[in-house]
Amino acid sequence: MREKPWFAVAYMFAVTAFFSFIVIGLARVTAERVRRNEQLAFERAVLMALQMAQGKTAEQIHQTFVEMIEPVQGENNYGLIRDGELAAYAVGFSGRGFWAPIRGVIGIEPDRQTVIGIAFYDQKETPGLGGEIVGQTFRRQFENLKLNPGPRPIEFRPFGATLDSHQVHAITGATQTCTRLEHLMNEDINEWLRIVAQEDTK
Amino acid sequence: MNIGGELWTAAVVAFAAIFTNNILLMFFLGMCPFTSVSREVKTAFGLGLAVVFVMTSTSLLNWLAYHHILVPLKLEFFRFIMFIIIIAAFVQFVEMVIDRYSPKLYYGLGIFLPLITVNCAILGASLFMVIRDYTFIVTIGFGFGSGLGWLLAIMAMAGIRQRLAHARIPRGLDGPGITLIIAGLMALAFIGFTGVLS
Amino acid sequence: MSPNGGTPGTRAIIFDGLWHNNPVFRQILGICSTLAVTNLVLNTLVMCAALTMVLAASSLTVSLLRKFTPRNIRMMVQTLVIAFYVIIVDTSLRGYWPDMSAALGPYVGLIITNCIIMGRCEAFAGTNKPFGALTDGFFNGLGYSLLLLAIAIPRELLGMGSILGFPMPYFSGAWDRWIIMVMPPGAFFTLAVIVWICRAIKPREEKIA
Repeated sequence: MREKPWFAVAYMFAVTAFFSFIVIGLARVTAERVRRNEQLAFERAVLMALQMAQGKTAEQIHQTFVEMIEPVQGENNYGLIRDGELAAYAVGFSGRGFWAPIRGVIGIEPDRQTVIGIAFYDQKETPGLGGEIVGQTFRRQFENLKLNPGPRPIEFRPFGATLDSHQVHAITGATQTCTRLEHLMNEDINEWLRIVAQEDTK
Repeated sequence: MNIGGELWTAAVVAFAAIFTNNILLMFFLGMCPFTSVSREVKTAFGLGLAVVFVMTSTSLLNWLAYHHILVPLKLEFFRFIMFIIIIAAFVQFVEMVIDRYSPKLYYGLGIFLPLITVNCAILGASLFMVIRDYTFIVTIGFGFGSGLGWLLAIMAMAGIRQRLAHARIPRGLDGPGITLIIAGLMALAFIGFTGVLS
Repeated sequence: MSPNGGTPGTRAIIFDGLWHNNPVFRQILGICSTLAVTNLVLNTLVMCAALTMVLAASSLTVSLLRKFTPRNIRMMVQTLVIAFYVIIVDTSLRGYWPDMSAALGPYVGLIITNCIIMGRCEAFAGTNKPFGALTDGFFNGLGYSLLLLAIAIPRELLGMGSILGFPMPYFSGAWDRWIIMVMPPGAFFTLAVIVWICRAIKPREEKIA
């Protein structure tokens, strides 16, 4: 029976069907988890950018996000609402990194110039190199940064160079990731500044 | 769809795929034939050309399959199987066509084709295309550029090894060992291309 | 294969997989998928665990099916089986360890084209009993993992001063980090040195099989 031509086709079909069943089942089971993980990663990034995420559990993060964060002007921009007033901006930025799209959030004070912090919720850069952008040492540099008016609000300088108030050190060995990150951050920050300026004139 | 902008992006991606993001020297894909076949520049060139052709074509086919079949059906995780099947089928098809219409070409190139089916670089290029969310036009640039980058790497390797054929290499290092060191030096050199196109 | 043509003894299988026929330095197979993640020991561990699991499970499955599979489609069936186990691993990682899934990127999917798995299924699992195939798959995977850890440990130690994320006494302090080790050339050089050492210890002998 093994040698009959139809057997080969039927066999492949049966093997495929059996395994597909298992795989599709697994995918359905994990789909909800994946979605929740992604949602939580985003919410955590927003709170981290606003320096509000310390010591919070997943539940608390979600709670805080729902209570205090509202979408504001522009795509993927949010605001922190305290006592009915806008207390800070959380500007989302995204774009092409070295490996894959990088997505993150930058927290900015109402003066639209001082940075509160940054955080990432989606990146697939090289672990140990580009991947270090999510590390404390890199991100801490952005606290109290002053955005420079003009085409490059934030600039990356090589490690060891002296920095102006709008500059940070890049990661050695991750030139490409840092170049792209600088570009995509500046693009989205300028877009946001343009939108809020427009809102003001209304 | 901004055609002009996309063509430019495709060109940039292609350039990057050849030099700064070389699929073999930066992402370690397609190394098995790299260490075994790369002794003669002519053979390397033939294999490289076949890879360029297959990589470009299969990246396109896989893009179409992914975005028009798997995504609408929400079966993205099936992409591994779908891509492998498409690659194997495509290579089989090309082999048959070459064998039928140009025995000479088959003699020179056809023997490499089965090797290519299991070349991780081919599948890798398609998987990268999905992860990086490239559009159709950019995928053409990416597939072509990655193939060219692989071709460049393997030809350079073959050239270097031809030169080393008469050098005295320590016994344990002979063969794969020295090939890997050469690869490391090449990777180092290619990193120097970073920043050529800002 | 043992002289009388049957499934070789378990001990022979174990030592073959771990040392005599080690997939990495003896056969130089299948390094593409994992070399990229060897700059961090933790990622390497996860990747090797994934590969060993897929290798063992695929070998077992192919062996169980060997009496039913028509000869002319056996490679397709092997590929299918391997692909399915990889999808299972990838989907599970994505659901239960999303950070690791992002760090390993497309390399988990590339386990499918890893020559070792296809090689072992073809060379061993297709013609041997299930238990033997499972053992062979597992110990080949283990041999592979040991070698890759041997690459990852110097890379993370010299390049970042830590192992498994824990800072190491001298290396995270006074040591001037060799960033080159964290970058691709470092992987090539480290592997070359490991291969050199292993081959110097055990030069290729002409085995009369």
